[in-house]
Amino acid sequence: MKTLSLKNLRKTYFDPYAGSQVTAVHDVSLDVEQGEFVSVVGPSGCGKTTILNMIAGFIPYTGGEILIDGNLVKGPGPDRGVVFQSFALFPWKTVLENVGFGPKMRGVPKDERDRTAREYLALAGLSHAADRYPNELSGGMQQRVGVVRALANNPAVLLMDEPFASVDAQTRMTLQEELTRIWQERKPTVIFITHDVAEAVFLANRVVVLSKGRVLDQIKVDLPRPRVWDHLIEDETFKRLSAQVLQMVRAA
Amino acid sequence: MNIALKFWSGYVRATHRWPIIATIVPFIPVVAIWSIVANSGMFPRAFFPAPVDVMRSFISLTYKGILPDYLQDSLIRLLFGATIGVALGIPLGILIGSSRLAHRICWPVLLFFQAIGDIAWLPILLIWFGFGLTTMTFVIVYTVLFPIVLSTVLGVQSVHRDLARAAQSLGASPIRVLWEVTLPGALPNIITGLRNGLGYGWRALIAVEIIVGTSGIGFMMFDARRAGSTVEILLGMIVLGTLWYIVDAWILAPIERATGQRWGLVTS
Repeated sequence: MKTLSLKNLRKTYFDPYAGSQVTAVHDVSLDVEQGEFVSVVGPSGCGKTTILNMIAGFIPYTGGEILIDGNLVKGPGPDRGVVFQSFALFPWKTVLENVGFGPKMRGVPKDERDRTAREYLALAGLSHAADRYPNELSGGMQQRVGVVRALANNPAVLLMDEPFASVDAQTRMTLQEELTRIWQERKPTVIFITHDVAEAVFLANRVVVLSKGRVLDQIKVDLPRPRVWDHLIEDETFKRLSAQVLQMVRAA
Repeated sequence: MNIALKFWSGYVRATHRWPIIATIVPFIPVVAIWSIVANSGMFPRAFFPAPVDVMRSFISLTYKGILPDYLQDSLIRLLFGATIGVALGIPLGILIGSSRLAHRICWPVLLFFQAIGDIAWLPILLIWFGFGLTTMTFVIVYTVLFPIVLSTVLGVQSVHRDLARAAQSLGASPIRVLWEVTLPGALPNIITGLRNGLGYGWRALIAVEIIVGTSGIGFMMFDARRAGSTVEILLGMIVLGTLWYIVDAWILAPIERATGQRWGLVTS
């Protein structure tokens, strides 16, 4: 079953300084099955963040269609959970209140949404931090909260925009491993935007390579799960796939 | 050296236990110098009274009930004007801060009227409304309004775009985004605006009371000038300073500690 479907997606905007139309996304078509983990890579300026923002409904698209479970996307909505590079946690809410925010907007009573939030915090190993404020947490912990906050709202698609780009390298590897573990437990449908080729291959079932606003190629990743860096770093298939994707990105 | 350190440690511990000490101690040299100059005979006492004289006047005016009455009048005027100013200023600031169109239309007008200081309105207000509460309220509302509007606009614009987007993606309606994201995000700036606004409003009130008033601290000081009572003028000045300190330290600062500083939006 197709959860997300992009059909001839296009984005042009008028640049008032250049005085001309600029095309950020030329023509992108992509189908994502339910429970699939798709990484989108490409050099900067290839339009990957623009595509994510259009799927999320943050910016309008100028051509084609975006369908979520068959419904046309017209603006932001709770069927698409977003994890931001900037974390975007509400600083004035505790970790528990942040994770319970989605259910709160749906009118779920406090007891019930607190229970849901605690369950998801436990999933990310954050039970001890429930009553802290985001600024009291490390970057890695903040982004764990960001991920479970989106998951706790049960979205049809989880959109992740370079979510681990602003944490240190060791924390990033841990977060990547945790994300694959959570994905295996819950099987959410994920679109993961990144410029890090190894990250894209490590996480995904499928890697989509973008170039100049078009899909250049797609590569299936059949690496066994659970995926752990200690094993994969030496794995021949992982090395070959990473090299293959890297060459495409660099040539793009 | 050792004694100085011991003294310092005792002072730190005492101020930790009774914070009021930290407020009073810096004023000891001020009062001491004032006292020495007044008692030195450099100036006649009626022209330059000593702290004791002001204290005596404070006790006598409090005992007669004049000072409490005037203080109450001034505070009620400020509170009344400030409430209206806040009620107008915050919504206006949110509108201008979140709508590009409203910003374009209102901003030049806002800056124009901000430049016409509160007191500059008095001549025309006195003709329109006469010597009364309406004139005073107008001036205070006017004075309080601008700092609050400008800080609210700044506050709304300073909220990171991703926060509103995150809320929308979690199912928040525009009203909920305003309530759950925009307002708390703008709060530290709004409080700064409130602090400035109340400070300016307080000063404007004294000025207006001097010109318009029939009561209040400003009136008391101006009335004392007519009677040549330097003691009461100085008393009025001290009351103003003390009162503002109380408002700032006991009301505004605790709000700041509980909000922006706690959330890490402002560094303490």
